[in-house]
Amino acid sequence: MSIVPIIEFDRVSKIYPSGSGPITALHEVSLRIAAGEFIALIGPSGCGKTTLMRLIGDLEQPSAGTVRVKAKSPDQARRDRDYGIVFQSPVLYAWRTICKNVELPLELMGYPRQQRHERAMSLLRLVGLGDFSQAYPHQLSGGMQQRAAIARALSFAPSILLMDEPFGALDEITRERLQLELLSIWAESDPRPTVIFVTHSIPEAVFLADRVVVLSPRPGRVQRIIEVNLPRPRAFETREDPRFFTLLTEVRECLRAMEG
Amino acid sequence: MGYDASRADPGTAWPVGTALRRVLPVASVILVLLGLWEGSKLLFDFSDQRLPHLAALVEAMFTPTQGGTGPLLLVQMLVNAWATFRIALGGFLLGTLLGFGLAGLFLRVSVLERGLMPYVIGSQTVPILAIAPMVIVGFGRLGAAPWAAKVLVSTYLSFFPVTIGMLRGLRAVSPQSLDLMRSYAASSTQTFWKLRLPSALPFLFTSLKIAASASVIGAIVAELSAGPREGLGVMILDAAQSYNSRPPALYLAILAAGLVGVTFYSLVALAEHLVVGTRRAE
Ligand SMILES: Nc1ncnc2c1ncn2[C@@H]1O[C@H](COP(=O)(O)OP(=O)(O)OP(=O)(O)O)[C@@H](O)[C@H]1O
Ligand SMILES: [Mg+2]
Repeated sequence: MSIVPIIEFDRVSKIYPSGSGPITALHEVSLRIAAGEFIALIGPSGCGKTTLMRLIGDLEQPSAGTVRVKAKSPDQARRDRDYGIVFQSPVLYAWRTICKNVELPLELMGYPRQQRHERAMSLLRLVGLGDFSQAYPHQLSGGMQQRAAIARALSFAPSILLMDEPFGALDEITRERLQLELLSIWAESDPRPTVIFVTHSIPEAVFLADRVVVLSPRPGRVQRIIEVNLPRPRAFETREDPRFFTLLTEVRECLRAMEG
Repeated sequence: MGYDASRADPGTAWPVGTALRRVLPVASVILVLLGLWEGSKLLFDFSDQRLPHLAALVEAMFTPTQGGTGPLLLVQMLVNAWATFRIALGGFLLGTLLGFGLAGLFLRVSVLERGLMPYVIGSQTVPILAIAPMVIVGFGRLGAAPWAAKVLVSTYLSFFPVTIGMLRGLRAVSPQSLDLMRSYAASSTQTFWKLRLPSALPFLFTSLKIAASASVIGAIVAELSAGPREGLGVMILDAAQSYNSRPPALYLAILAAGLVGVTFYSLVALAEHLVVGTRRAE
């Protein structure tokens, strides 16, 4: 890649101390991600996907090697509010309405009341929760809560979106609808945020991403990077494209080969 | 706050039904207690000296005090209950403030927690009956108003549950909600006000309810010790001394103390309902 990467991993290792000796979660991972790219991160359970994401977001520090984000340290990037994070669970605050939850980052960043309310409402409408802005989290279904969490991550238009299996707990139908919603939000944003999307699902990875990064079992290393040359915008028909199936097979075989 | 509360509790659609459902258990418990009272008197043949009739209690309430020249006993009871309530309220508020302060301090400086917590816990193992006279006499010598010393004794009992509950609450935050705050580069002050404090509220109210009862006990014990002759503590003491001639007075004094405690508790519960009301655990 000739373009300057927005995220760059240079032989990054992460070792967790634990009762039964140190656990190497990631081993010498090198990776470059360009601005505006949609990256899917896939690999067997426990291979270090969450760890990799947390290293980018400065929620975890590397044991060796360096992570650079926009040519800064992840710590600086975090202070500059470059990250919107969506965790596997929605992590909404139970005492705030959905609207107030979406406003939270804007509140912390000192946006005026009127502006943050308008912004939150327009995002809630975008994710189809316009009618639920005054509801409390417990009054929403899991899928709706996760959409609220996405709206919250988008609220301050961060340049990097870190999403850790955001649709992991959802049924197939909701999941496919949210994938489309996410892609259209991403495509309509200007500039497009860079997305790191962790998933266990091969079709999800291929459907969403520009590139699928396959991690090896623990200790995680970058096994392969598969370019997804499916045209955008992607739609329901994309899943019936013969190239889609070819790519599925490619990712699946890569994952299978590592087991053997 | 209440978004579509009827969905959460189908009972709210029937205001009369809910009122009945609230009142009925309380009323039946009272009836059972009254029945037990009179029943045990009948069954074990307690003399009026050991357990007076309920009717005698009611009669005593409407008997003038001081050999017929003073106000009704009921009026005296209410006046004293009010005096105790004020002391307890002072102790409760001061104890809550102290508890907040200590919990906040311990949260920020964990060295202080390790250093001071043993004393905080130790303070509660010393019998309040032993401490109260020392505080009252000591403060009297310093020239402080007697009520101030009583409030301090009450505070001594109420700050403890608040400290423990608040600290527990402030720490009962999921790592992920902290990660979320971190990802927004929130300051620790922002994290405190927008995350730790609101998620501590359910814990806080539980300990405030305990503190409410504790502060009433503290106030009564303080009144027993010394100071001006007012409050339920003094009433209990007097009634105990004159028990042989007038048994109902002691029962009524105890009843009044219980009522002050219940009233205080209910006020805190009401505040809890208003503040935490509609929210649920995550
Ligand atoms: N805080 C921690 N302390 C100790 N070990 C950890 C910690 N976090 C993760 N690990 C270990 O590091 C390895 C990688 O964990 P990680 O959560 O990154 O995997 P993952 O790929 O996200 O797995 P999954 O797909 O199941 O979510 C695992 O073996 C895990 O046990
Ligand atoms: Mg994970």
